[in-house]
Amino acid sequence: MNRNRMPASRRRHMLAGATAIALCTAFQPALAQDDAHYGGTMKLLAVAAGGTLDPQINYTAIYWELYGFLYDGLVTFKKVAGADSAQVVPDLAEALPEVTNDGKTYTFKLRKGVKFANGKEVTPDDVVASFQRIFKVLSPTSGGFYGGIVGADKCLAEAAGCTLEGGITGDAAAGTVTINLVAPDAEFLYKLSVPHASILPADTAASDMGNTPIPGTGAYMIESYDPNAQLVMVRNPNFTEWSKDAQPRGYPDRIEYTFGGTEEAAVNAIMNGQADWMYDPPPADRLAELSTSAPDQLRVAPLAAWWYAPLNVNLAPFDNLKARQALNYAVDRNALVSVFGGPALAQPVCTILPPDFPGHEDFCEYTLNPGPEWTAPDMDKAHALVEESGTKGQKVTVVTDDSASSRGVGTYLQTVLSDLGYDASVQTISGDIQFTYIQNTNNNVQISISQWYQDYPAPSNFLNVLFGCDTFHPGSDSSINISGICDKDLDARMKAAMALGVTDPEAANKEWAKIDHDFMALAPAVPLFTPKDVDLISTRLGNYEFSSQYHWLIANSWVQ
Amino acid sequence: MLAIVLGRILRMVVVMFGISVVTFAIFFATPASDPAARIAGRNAAPETVEAVRKDFGLDRPLPVQYALMMKRLFITRDLTSFANRGQKIIPAIANAAPATLSLVTGAAILWMLGGIAAGIIAAATKGRWPDKILMGLSMAAVAMPVFWVGEMVNLVTQSRFHDTWAFSWVPPLGYAALSQDPWLWFKSLVFPWLTLALLNIGLYGRVLRTGIVETYQEDFIRTARAKGLPARKVLLKHATRSAIIPIVIMFGMDFGVLVGGAAVLTEVVFGINGVGRLTYQALKVLDLPMIMATVLYASFFVVIANAVVDMLCLAIDPRMRRA
Amino acid sequence: MGPVTGGMSILPTDDNTPSPAATAGEEAWVSRGPWRRVLEGLLASPTAVLSGLLLLVIVLATLLAPVYAARVAGSDPFRSGLSAKIEIDGERVPVMQQSTEGLGLGVTPIGPTWGPQYFLGADTQGRDVAARMLYGGRNSLLIAGASTLLCLALAAVVGIVAGYVGGRVDSVLSNLIDMIWAFPVYLLAISLSIVMIGKSYSFGPFEIASDSLIVPILIIGIVYVPYVARPVRGRVLALNQSEFIMAARGLGIRRARILLRHILPNVATTLIVFAPMLMALNIVTESSLSFLSVGVQPPNASWGTILQDGQALLYSRPVVSMAPGLAIMVTVLLLNLFGDVLRDVLDPKSARGR
Repeated sequence: MNRNRMPASRRRHMLAGATAIALCTAFQPALAQDDAHYGGTMKLLAVAAGGTLDPQINYTAIYWELYGFLYDGLVTFKKVAGADSAQVVPDLAEALPEVTNDGKTYTFKLRKGVKFANGKEVTPDDVVASFQRIFKVLSPTSGGFYGGIVGADKCLAEAAGCTLEGGITGDAAAGTVTINLVAPDAEFLYKLSVPHASILPADTAASDMGNTPIPGTGAYMIESYDPNAQLVMVRNPNFTEWSKDAQPRGYPDRIEYTFGGTEEAAVNAIMNGQADWMYDPPPADRLAELSTSAPDQLRVAPLAAWWYAPLNVNLAPFDNLKARQALNYAVDRNALVSVFGGPALAQPVCTILPPDFPGHEDFCEYTLNPGPEWTAPDMDKAHALVEESGTKGQKVTVVTDDSASSRGVGTYLQTVLSDLGYDASVQTISGDIQFTYIQNTNNNVQISISQWYQDYPAPSNFLNVLFGCDTFHPGSDSSINISGICDKDLDARMKAAMALGVTDPEAANKEWAKIDHDFMALAPAVPLFTPKDVDLISTRLGNYEFSSQYHWLIANSWVQ
Repeated sequence: MLAIVLGRILRMVVVMFGISVVTFAIFFATPASDPAARIAGRNAAPETVEAVRKDFGLDRPLPVQYALMMKRLFITRDLTSFANRGQKIIPAIANAAPATLSLVTGAAILWMLGGIAAGIIAAATKGRWPDKILMGLSMAAVAMPVFWVGEMVNLVTQSRFHDTWAFSWVPPLGYAALSQDPWLWFKSLVFPWLTLALLNIGLYGRVLRTGIVETYQEDFIRTARAKGLPARKVLLKHATRSAIIPIVIMFGMDFGVLVGGAAVLTEVVFGINGVGRLTYQALKVLDLPMIMATVLYASFFVVIANAVVDMLCLAIDPRMRRA
Repeated sequence: MGPVTGGMSILPTDDNTPSPAATAGEEAWVSRGPWRRVLEGLLASPTAVLSGLLLLVIVLATLLAPVYAARVAGSDPFRSGLSAKIEIDGERVPVMQQSTEGLGLGVTPIGPTWGPQYFLGADTQGRDVAARMLYGGRNSLLIAGASTLLCLALAAVVGIVAGYVGGRVDSVLSNLIDMIWAFPVYLLAISLSIVMIGKSYSFGPFEIASDSLIVPILIIGIVYVPYVARPVRGRVLALNQSEFIMAARGLGIRRARILLRHILPNVATTLIVFAPMLMALNIVTESSLSFLSVGVQPPNASWGTILQDGQALLYSRPVVSMAPGLAIMVTVLLLNLFGDVLRDVLDPKSARGR
């Protein structure tokens, strides 16, 4: 997901009471009562649209939240609130696949009678064509997620003629689809659950469809789209509910997403009852007021994400381990939490894997009294380390993006670096450009502010992606290993942990925790905090549910 | 006459060509401007980035890329955005234009009326209280940033006093098309008009006042007064007519550039999805096709407005014709 | 105050050559020496004296910013003070106040204490807004002042040359003006900000780093040139055909002399009207440039950047955005009052007309 389009924060039930109430409302109403909730028009707001509608290309949080109700994969994440939301359930497939051939062959049996919005029935041919299309349209994750399918290497080299020969075969008579992998992959079902693996009609053009909606199998379909004005979703006339967990029917008849305006204006509109929800986080300035005047309309949930400051391990002064450790000791995470809106909205962290994420273990090396939690900065140790490193007085430029939070964090880090004796300055780069700028080694960025949000709940999605040797491409704008760290030993251990995950997930997660610990000993980044999601909803909106994968389950809520 | 029109068109082409080349050059001189990685998406494999680069023609020499872009913009008219892939540039601007035009035209009427009234009243009462109050207010208007005024207006009309009789009629922020509901169109634009006009009422009022006061001293005015023409007639007919020239010139420049997208802050703060916001969004993501198109669109209006102004000036004051 | 020196430095050169066409009154005016006459004229006006003095107070106050920060406010206005605490009525109060009611979301900086510490409250980084206002004033006055001066000087040259010389020169300059007016300034600013990250360029004795104030001064100085140059050109065109210039031409006076003696003073009044307004526009433009990372960089401040910090606190701490807004307004108002008197003094015609 494009991290810039990611809300800067997200929620879970902080109050046990709220959870209880939410559960009660979910189970109590009698059917007749429930029927009354179906219908109506839901109105959503966002400052800017999310680009192309093509589910195999779009990589933004704003549209991934919608795709869950527009398209289906063979499998999907369960559309429920709470911990179960990370669970994979069968979607267009009748059941979870049969895995054979030492974990390298997946066989899916398709449901019968599922139709696309254009009225055609889903066939194995559509599935095969959809997987080929991932490569043909140069999907961002075609290499990262689906490069392990047999024949994918050829497709990556020569996209236009992609066949995935030997990788995927459909049997129209039996209604089955078989996928072959080069090597076992514990995360493969997760990768099939994200929107890039959506099943589309076989005759969909093999190019970015842009603003033209592609017919899907979901409960809704897109009626109209103008990125400068509005996106409208209506019920898919060819839809019948086959699994509430995978693709629920949805309450509202119509969902109108309006783009434009400011966050302040969106808050006003919701408070005036003119809109039901805003995608962008409510401005920090309004939170204090809202949390007293409208606590019933706010929902807070933790996100599987982290804010961090990547340190370039190949460039002075942070090519020096002691300099990196010094900064880790010196950063006051509580101060940063207050930049982000206080402890209710962010949690200080010392690890790479976010709290409650698979493989996460509470520990903190870089604090006053090392232990499970961060307590306070250790300035004495930090000063001593800077002295030892001999990097004192060097010039350091912190590169931030132009969001208020990023600038705030950058300004604070400038103060810390100055206190440590560096000649520090902050530079802000507008919008989306910062993210590619900080990745390219040619730009010689020493330290920057960045965020990472999970694609799916696996430790490798943080550790291997952000610090693996495979994701470091010197001189390229696409080099997500921003720190530029490539530790052969740790890299080998990560590969082993991924393989171990196929057979023994428990043991793998324990190993990931150790890898996390050992990476932090090398300090390729300063973990700052885990953000939380804040949703502001209208008074008429009911049955709010938050999934760790989709975030707010839009169509599971009702407006009447 | 034909020669004048042809000359103007030539001048427009020159300006637009110059602007487009400069824009193109600045874009590619910027580090990290390379759209390939941003189009390819987060953590895309190097092969994918290269394939995208080729797919979008970003691997070709810059002059070729420039020529292709111009061809797709003006001849085949199918240029698409890099950021909102599949979004065709020309329809996007055509859809955004009415909103901007409504906003700017309404505000222009307000600020011309307000500015002229303020300028004449202040000049007529030069040195006395009405003059001082008006000019003080005009300075205040110039010193207040549009964005701040807009947020304050929203604070009052949409939040704090939205439920009172005074502001309950104010519709939610956003633009309503004139063709669909003229009354809603009007209601939703009242505050954006006022906000945008505020700055210019101050500016125009001051310039007009000074102009009138100055021309009052000129010989022909003195002659007119000596001939015994009534003071009010002298003020309105002679002094104002001569002093209005700089106002007309300023109006031409402001109107051209605002229609071209310079009203971005007003558009953003009031949720009007016009050309200004389109430009702003394109700049945020360095979306070259959209930047290029909006910049050319703006320069078109700047040149046109200035051409009209030159003609108007001649009509008002024939002295400006060259000897 | 840009236009003042701009206009005056040109005027005296004019007086060295005797003027056959000059009237007796102008002769007398010239003989007394322009500098002295201007000074006397200004001193004779209470408005000019008062506004001049107040402007001086503002400038002095900004120059004394370090004293205020160290002695009165007692905190470093360029250092994030997110965990700072201050004493109010014997109680230790955190500067960044965590919301405790309701869901307890949000952190609000301390509001105006109206005491020595945090007189105007704190910003989102917990820094003393009052101290930052004083430091910010320096940058704002410097950038806006210098760019206004530059803009007026360039506009005068371009406008007069285009209007007076005419012909091909006029059409080239007019094209250039149109181009500047339609130029994508913000694209240039974004580009410059990225190009200059962590680098500095030296041009002879000047070193230009990313936070150098020369860059915004140049950009802002040029952006509004068309806005002033076109009315100036229009004025010159009209003057060209006016009776007294026609008469002067008829008498065989050199073009350069007509330009200096008759056209420049007339144009100067136009420039002086624009000056205070340009100051205001420039302060605001500067803030958008610094937001794009050109010019004043955090943790440094200008009135424009404080205004922008304040926008994030509009609903909870409106004073943070109102204070710089007010400062800009007062400064501009004073400049304007001063400029009005100055124009009357500079332009004998308008003074005589009263």
